[in-house]
Amino acid sequence: MSELTRTGLEPLNTIGNETARVDAVERVTGQAKYTRDWKLPGMLYAKVLRSPHPHARIVSIDTTEAAALPGVRSIITHEDAQVVWGSGSVNGGRQYNDPTKDATLHRRYIFNNPVRFVGDSVAAVAATDRHIAAQALTLIKVEYEELPFVLEPEESLADGAPQIWPEGNLCPDFRGELNPMVSDIGDVEAGFEEADRVFEERYETSFIHNAQMEPRCALAHWQRDKLVLYTPSQGISNCRHDTARDLGLEDHQVQVITKYMGGGFGNKNQNQDADLVAATLSRRAGVPVMLEYSRREDWLGVHGRWPTVQNYKIGVKEDGTVTAMELRGYSGMGPYRKNSGGISGMDAYGCPNRYREIHPVYTNRTTSGNFRAPSEPHGFYGVENMMDEVAYQIGMDPVEFTKINMRRPTEEQQFTNYSLEEVIDDGVERFNWQARRKVVPGSDDGPIKRGAGFSFMMFRAGVGTSSAIVRVNAREEYTLYVGVTDIGPGAKTTMGMIAAEALNVPLSQVEVVWGDTDRCPYSVGESGSRTTIMTGIAVVEAVQDLQRQIADGGMPSGSDVLIASASPTPTTDGKTRQCFGAHFVEVEVDTRVGSTRILKYTAVHESGRIINPTTARDQIRGATLQGIGQALHENLLYDPKTGQPLTPGYYRGRHLTHKDIPDIDVHFIEVDDGYGPFGAKTAGESGIILAPAAVANAVANATGKRMTSLPITRDKILGAMA
Amino acid sequence: MKSLTNINATSFNQAVAAAQQASEQGQSVAFSGGGTDLLQQVKDGTDAADVIINLRSVPDGRIIESNGAGVSIGGLVTLTEVSEDPLVISGLAAIAQAAGSVGTPQIRNVGTLAGNVTQRPWCWYYRNGFNCFKAGGEECFSVNGENGQHAIFGGGPSYIVHPSDVAPALVAFDAVFQVTGPNGDREVSAEDFFLLPITNPVRENSLSENELLTGVRIPNVSANTVSTYHKVMDREAWTHAEIGVATVIQRDGNSVQDAKVVLAGVAPIPWRVQAVEDFLTGKQISAAVAQEAGEIGIQDSQPLSNNAHKLPMTSAAIERAILSLAAG
Repeated sequence: MSELTRTGLEPLNTIGNETARVDAVERVTGQAKYTRDWKLPGMLYAKVLRSPHPHARIVSIDTTEAAALPGVRSIITHEDAQVVWGSGSVNGGRQYNDPTKDATLHRRYIFNNPVRFVGDSVAAVAATDRHIAAQALTLIKVEYEELPFVLEPEESLADGAPQIWPEGNLCPDFRGELNPMVSDIGDVEAGFEEADRVFEERYETSFIHNAQMEPRCALAHWQRDKLVLYTPSQGISNCRHDTARDLGLEDHQVQVITKYMGGGFGNKNQNQDADLVAATLSRRAGVPVMLEYSRREDWLGVHGRWPTVQNYKIGVKEDGTVTAMELRGYSGMGPYRKNSGGISGMDAYGCPNRYREIHPVYTNRTTSGNFRAPSEPHGFYGVENMMDEVAYQIGMDPVEFTKINMRRPTEEQQFTNYSLEEVIDDGVERFNWQARRKVVPGSDDGPIKRGAGFSFMMFRAGVGTSSAIVRVNAREEYTLYVGVTDIGPGAKTTMGMIAAEALNVPLSQVEVVWGDTDRCPYSVGESGSRTTIMTGIAVVEAVQDLQRQIADGGMPSGSDVLIASASPTPTTDGKTRQCFGAHFVEVEVDTRVGSTRILKYTAVHESGRIINPTTARDQIRGATLQGIGQALHENLLYDPKTGQPLTPGYYRGRHLTHKDIPDIDVHFIEVDDGYGPFGAKTAGESGIILAPAAVANAVANATGKRMTSLPITRDKILGAMA
Repeated sequence: MKSLTNINATSFNQAVAAAQQASEQGQSVAFSGGGTDLLQQVKDGTDAADVIINLRSVPDGRIIESNGAGVSIGGLVTLTEVSEDPLVISGLAAIAQAAGSVGTPQIRNVGTLAGNVTQRPWCWYYRNGFNCFKAGGEECFSVNGENGQHAIFGGGPSYIVHPSDVAPALVAFDAVFQVTGPNGDREVSAEDFFLLPITNPVRENSLSENELLTGVRIPNVSANTVSTYHKVMDREAWTHAEIGVATVIQRDGNSVQDAKVVLAGVAPIPWRVQAVEDFLTGKQISAAVAQEAGEIGIQDSQPLSNNAHKLPMTSAAIERAILSLAAG
């Protein structure tokens, strides 16, 4: 059984107690209304026609026959619906930055010509039922001129590669200039001079899909000039703003409603093309339109984590001090740059000489975008396997090597608190690292080999602006209005707990209103692990305002209510605020058949004060499982000859099943650094950052062979053992 | 939208007659046992059926029974029923184990023995709509493509691997397949039921148009027979075999009198490794013998560009399967 343990702080009245989700009953009894459950009078159903080619120019589209099919009400194509999809092609991945969107060289529309990947949208049909819409798609005649395509990032930059955009295949930066992303700290050349030994290795990671349970869908309904959009969004305020901008509306002309949703993991940040396509069809048809993606469409048409190539060079002294770190990386972004293409991890080290050059590159694979800690799991896998290998090469315990080299607070850059060393030490003891680690990797006799791996991280836990409104009536019933949606972490419950704690009332006395931009104030969005901290601070401050009103004038009487709101802009006084974590995993590798099994998994995290231990633990466990899947299973393969995807979906993606899931012991070291609501920090993304690195390090420790590409499938293990 | 006709058959004979009638009208027909895979293929467009003959309404072919000649298993018996049947577990363990290893509990509760044996390949080219041999085309895209999961034995011109776990176990027990069709009933040995792509690159078995697998008959095995199905998968559920080894051994003490070793997941049909069977006959099962058997088992392999890892895996799986049947 997986365990949950905590040390450091005592629970408060509400916060810190294991608490069932406030909507648990609705969810498990089928009463919760998801986007696809909405039915509006006269509603049409829409489907999207998608490119069968990885790269092709559309010579002509003939919709005559499709339009004549009884039941078809509206058809749109690139010829008559040139709607910009701003967040589909944002240079630099600055998802909420309008000036950047205006500056973009390579604009993405809801329909594009040429089409640039298998699954790129070509046309959409709204009809009286799903089957008619599907049949209509088959009647649309598209003439394509097939163009050469390229799938691999490095090949994409080679001379003579097919050009996906006129300026070439290196993604422009957020100023529209053709430069890789460079970070140059200290003097790397001097650092390598100073080193006793220099190590180089190339690591690769694959494209993996967010694989959230609920595929994308959207129900659009125009009320005169106002768009009501039911959509599963990880940030209703951002979705409203993006949708308004893309459709040329003011924010107040769009209402976004997300009552319940089936996960996202970054797949439902911002607005998506489904929102814009449904809105456009609905406006033309004059009735509500429901657009639903199939699993395959969701897999190929939205986005997943970018595949990377990471070339590392590390200089180290015999005493274990790293003197220089260099990374030259490539990130495959698909044909539209929906996010940064970042490869993080080197920043977790304190080495004064670090050079990082990352090339985000266009390819004719599906688009890459946000996936739970967008830049981290692949980067931490690369750098921490590189460093783990260096440690063993110079005969050091990777934990000791890490302690010498990990980033620590400095005079110039202080932390709000720093507990990385404590986190690591705690994990070493709980996991029994010294007993499980093979000092000589691969030293088990026989074909079944055991070994242990470790990884560590720090991840942003900064504060920022969000809003909350709280109301009380004469019966001391409190209503909290927060613009959150619940993508899984339990935001509704967390916000209610924070309010109840601040009000000093039981949670049952607080009703939470969420998920509707016309009823709730701005919230930062369920991305970047920010809701608990940022909206949580706003809740605390709104409650404080309410308490001041009560102190001044007393509780309301009769039918009166008191209303308070807050939109704070907190700071961390120039300090960096980070959450910390370390994972320890023991694996057993069957080197005869190439299978890997996880025997023990210990996750230690400092995420500040834990608001709800139940959901916090599940965040760490869920994220860890995704990371194990990335490490051992998942990969969207493409056929090199035709550019067609071969492994979309849960079956082909080989995602972990319940039978594959190991016990994961989660331990929180709780700290209140004085920032964040009651000291809460980030949790949602942190587990996934650590898992691929730890699992791959464990496989190396068991087999004595460093696995330099993910996923670590049996062909790679058997190839290394041959 | 493709419109479909569903016919709820009342008997195997009526199912065949209905199929024959639809074919004569130029329609494409598919028999549906559990339908777990077929219906998805129709939705995906990889099966072109216009008419589905639903066999779930057929009362025949639903029992497992023993008579003097052996054990009969009806074609519509579910995989769960096969895996939990005391007769099968006690006398035909490899068949019970193979059936119990398929997919997920949900699939096994609905999927049938005949459906499992006759399911179409899970090659990612075929299932993604490539116009390959299996779809009626004239190319196997795996040859110059992603062939990590493809055949190391018996390939060419198609390199699919046969997806059934139960089929190799049936071959290993010398099962007789019972077929009914427009020309009446016939029986065919399990080995002759499956066809290599060199013989027929489109279909994996010898069922002709509108013929139906109604059941299997497994001849009596001697009391000193032991068997096992050893399977390696990429995850613990809902995936097909990377390698499966159905092994049936007739022993005298620990001495092998007769052996059958049939592989899943590595060839376009359940792949009998006769060289291993011959090698084992007369041997005492030991670690060394099992290891040598594993090495012999891949002698005739012809790996493609990306599936050489299947060779050591196949050797190891054969070795482990045999060793697991060593006497007490």
